[in-house]
Formats: sequence, C-alpha cells, structure tokens
Amino acid sequence: MQDGNHIWAIAEEYVAGTITEAAGAELSNRLQTDVEFAASFNECVNLLRSMKGAATQAHFRGTLKDAAQKHNAARKTIPLRTHYWRTGAIAAGVALLTSACAFLSFSTHNKSNTNQYSVLRHEIENIKRSQTQIIRNINRQNAAGNTPTAAVKYSGTGFALNNEGYLVTNYHVVDGADSVYIQNQKGDYYKAIVKAFDPNTDIAVLKVEDEHFRFAKGDVPYTFTQGKTGLGAHIYTVGYPDDDMVYNEGYISANNGYQEDSMQYRMELPADPGQSGAPVLDASGNVMAIVTAKGNQSGGSTYAVSSKALLQLLHSMPADERISLPHTNRMGRLDREMQIQKLAQYTCSVKVYKK
Amino acid sequence: MSVIALHSEEYMLAALAKGERVATEEIYNRHADTICRWVKKNGGDSTDADDIYQEAMVVLFEKAQNEDFRLTCKIGTYLFAVSKHLWYKKLQQRQNQPSELSGDSDEWHDKGYEDDVNTHHEREAHYEQMDAALDQLGEPCSSLLKAFYHRDRSMTEIAAEFGYTNPENAKTQKYKCLTRLRKIFYGVQAK
Repeated sequence: MQDGNHIWAIAEEYVAGTITEAAGAELSNRLQTDVEFAASFNECVNLLRSMKGAATQAHFRGTLKDAAQKHNAARKTIPLRTHYWRTGAIAAGVALLTSACAFLSFSTHNKSNTNQYSVLRHEIENIKRSQTQIIRNINRQNAAGNTPTAAVKYSGTGFALNNEGYLVTNYHVVDGADSVYIQNQKGDYYKAIVKAFDPNTDIAVLKVEDEHFRFAKGDVPYTFTQGKTGLGAHIYTVGYPDDDMVYNEGYISANNGYQEDSMQYRMELPADPGQSGAPVLDASGNVMAIVTAKGNQSGGSTYAVSSKALLQLLHSMPADERISLPHTNRMGRLDREMQIQKLAQYTCSVKVYKK
Repeated sequence: MSVIALHSEEYMLAALAKGERVATEEIYNRHADTICRWVKKNGGDSTDADDIYQEAMVVLFEKAQNEDFRLTCKIGTYLFAVSKHLWYKKLQQRQNQPSELSGDSDEWHDKGYEDDVNTHHEREAHYEQMDAALDQLGEPCSSLLKAFYHRDRSMTEIAAEFGYTNPENAKTQKYKCLTRLRKIFYGVQAK
C-alpha cells in the first residue's frame, strides 16, 4: 500500500504545481519508462483534477444561487422609500393624488410585472418635475437658514446611534442622494452626510454636519440588541410615513427575513412607505431591528434588518471613526407611552434630495 | 465602507473565474432579466428560466477557468447565446424530438457556442459519475473526501473531526480513500 499512497502524494504535488524540480525529473523519467505507472498516474491526476473542479464548481453554484435569490428578492420587495412628499400647492396635490392612487392601486393589485412598476414610478416622476417650479418658489419664500431649497424626493425614517449626531437609516433611502437632511420632532432641518453604508444589509450610517447638534438632552435611552430576538416576541416601531410620527406594534413572525436572509426578521407589523429605517424595539426598549421592506405578496409581512447587521457595519468602520453606542437602557421600566415619548426625541424623518 | 465601481468586462471575467461574490452578482444582475424573459417567452416557466441562466453562468465560469480564455464578444452576448443553446437542448430532450434552432441570426451558425455547451454537458456527466462513486464509497471515506475537497478543511481539522491521532494519519487515510474512489470510478467507466 506504500506505493499506492506515494503515487497520490506525487499526483497531488503535480496537480498543485508544487512538485520539486528533482522529483519532477524523476517523475517524467518514470512516466516514460513505466507504462503501467504512467496509466495509473494519469488516472490519479484526472481524478484529483475532477475532485477539485467539481468542488470549485459547487462553490460557484452556491454563490450563483445567492446571487439569484438576491436578484429575485430585489424584484419582489418594494422598498418603502417611494413615499412622495406632500406639497403645499393644491394643483400639485391633485396631480399627485392621481399618480399616488395609480401607484397604490398598482401595489394592491400585486402585479408581478416590475416593468409596469418602474413605468408607473416614472410617471410620478414626470408629474413631479412639472411641479418642481411651484415647490421651489414656495420653498424660496420660506427659505430661512437650514431649510432645504429643493423638493424632497424621498423620505424615510432614521434614529440616533448616540447623541453626537450619528444616526442610522436604510441604505435604499439615501442611495444616490444629492443631499440628505433630517427633520427632528420639533420640525427643524439639519444637513447630514453618509458616513458608512452596506447595500447588502441595506443599512446606512449618517452624521449630522452641525457639530453642536444634539437630539435631546442626555444620552440615548435605548440600547442595541447583540443577538437575535426570538420568534413571537412582541415588538413596536415608530416612524415618519408623513409629517406626524406614527406608532405600530406587532410580533416577530419568522426568524429569517426575505428568502431566508438570516440578517433579517419577518414581522407582522404594519408599515407604510416612509417608514424605511424606523427602529424596531422589543418590550423593554432595546432596538433589535430596522424596518427595511415590505413583501408585495404576503400582505402584512414587513421585513426588518437585525441590529446585529448594524453592529457589524459599525464594527467594520476604521478605528478612528468608531462610533460609541449607548450602554445603559433607560426605558426598561417605563410604560409604553413614556417609552415612545423618549424614543420620539431620538427618531427623525430623513429627507433625501435628488436633482 | 463598501465601494461599488464599474469595471471592464475583462476584469469582471477574471473576478468571476475566481468565484468572487461581488462580480458574480454584478454579472448575474446585469443579464438576468433579459435572458430569463427570453426563456419564458420560449415556453419555459420561471424555474426553467432561472435554471438555464444559472447553467449558462456556470458554462462561462468553467470557460473562464482556463487562463488562455478570451471572450470574443460581450459577456452578455455569450451568456445569451449559451442560454439559447441550453434551452433548445432541454426542449429537445423533453419533447424527445429534434427541435430546430431558429436560424434567424448568425450566432446559430457559430459552432463555438454549441461546442461549449456540449463540453459542458460532458463535464456535468463526468461530475455526476464522480458524485455517484463518492456516495458508493461509504463512510468515513465519503465524508472525509468531501470535508477536504468541498468544505476546504485542512488535514489538521480533518484529523480532529474524524478522530485521527495526527494529520499524517488522516492524510494516509485520505490516500486510501482516493485509491478506493479511483477503483470505483474507473471501474464504472470501464463498463
């Protein structure tokens, strides 16, 4: 059996290309003189190459399957960002209502045809462009200090990571933005910049440009859950589908999200466009996920990316830009109403402008 | 922080050959809709479409393993042509009758794509035979070889997992398993 093993050792080195010159010379010599050995060696080499080839291909098929799942997921979930901003002009409002209705009826009709989806959105875009002039004029009249000067393209929700101006929202909310503003509970605008993002998990970390900006007095009252919260846990969220903050509650309905994405949860939790990036908290006031998308098929299901993914993104940032997170939870003993009151101070609307 | 850059086709292909995730997804996303739509228009359902397109990606991947490989056309064109060939072949098998490759464009006259598809089918048959041989091998050989080749475990890890006293012993066992695999595999082929 010694020779049996030896031939494999040589064949392995030969296939890997790590064979020494001396051994290589000896090998080619033997291959020429010993026909039986040459045939065996040939089989061994072929087998090793096939094993390796099959394994490499299997790996690739795995990657491919992931890519396919992701691709199909992107087509089948509607990001909640397509929230169209309210305008002051009545004429514009009427036009908007028409297009919004078209959009709504489309999404309830549940068409799988994504082309139709994009076409409809495009129409909204066109109508909007013709309104821009009116909106600009209005905005110019109100222009004072920090107020943004163009119409809002998208809006989402964001919430504080700490009280040094860092906050988090969805990547799809700020994707392709020319400028990003946040609007806090009091209605004040602050300009923000994107500090880090991960398109895969759909998370973006923003920082308010104003160094003196604080969400409220005192530290952020909630903490971030490290692991994953269990099936059936009661959860709630606050977000800004429009000017007013909206509260929703529900439960975790699956431990994995869209297409078994383990970085996500599936939730029975009402969510509307504009609530992308909203914090999802457990009963004791720990942030355990971020609202991301809504399936267009299963009706009530909302998908939220886990706080674990957020912590991973924060961890991957360069050491000198490390963001300190709150350590103590000040909400655990409060009743729900008080929790929300506290949370509201650290939650904001994220408004994205595109030219 | 991740950065998404637009790369040349050569770069993408080289990255694909290495099985890099980002490049694979990028290429996948670029042509998925067009090709899947075509399959569905030609009598396939969405599962067929996904299968065919993924198979075409595998053909490209295998071709790209060869360092001398140069694409003479765009990646998208290649994938589309290969997908068409794969799909017509599949239809042919299903209906058990020769279906005509619609000769409306020049790519059907290009033998290159057909050769690639044929080579691919031969390779797949070969891998299937090997998988079957691997299953016949029995334990612990089957698991041991899979651990080494499919799960990229080192001999040290394998020694620990399978209870060998040291990596050298595990290696000897691996060679014995390979010898048996060779007997089964080439025995089957000889028939």
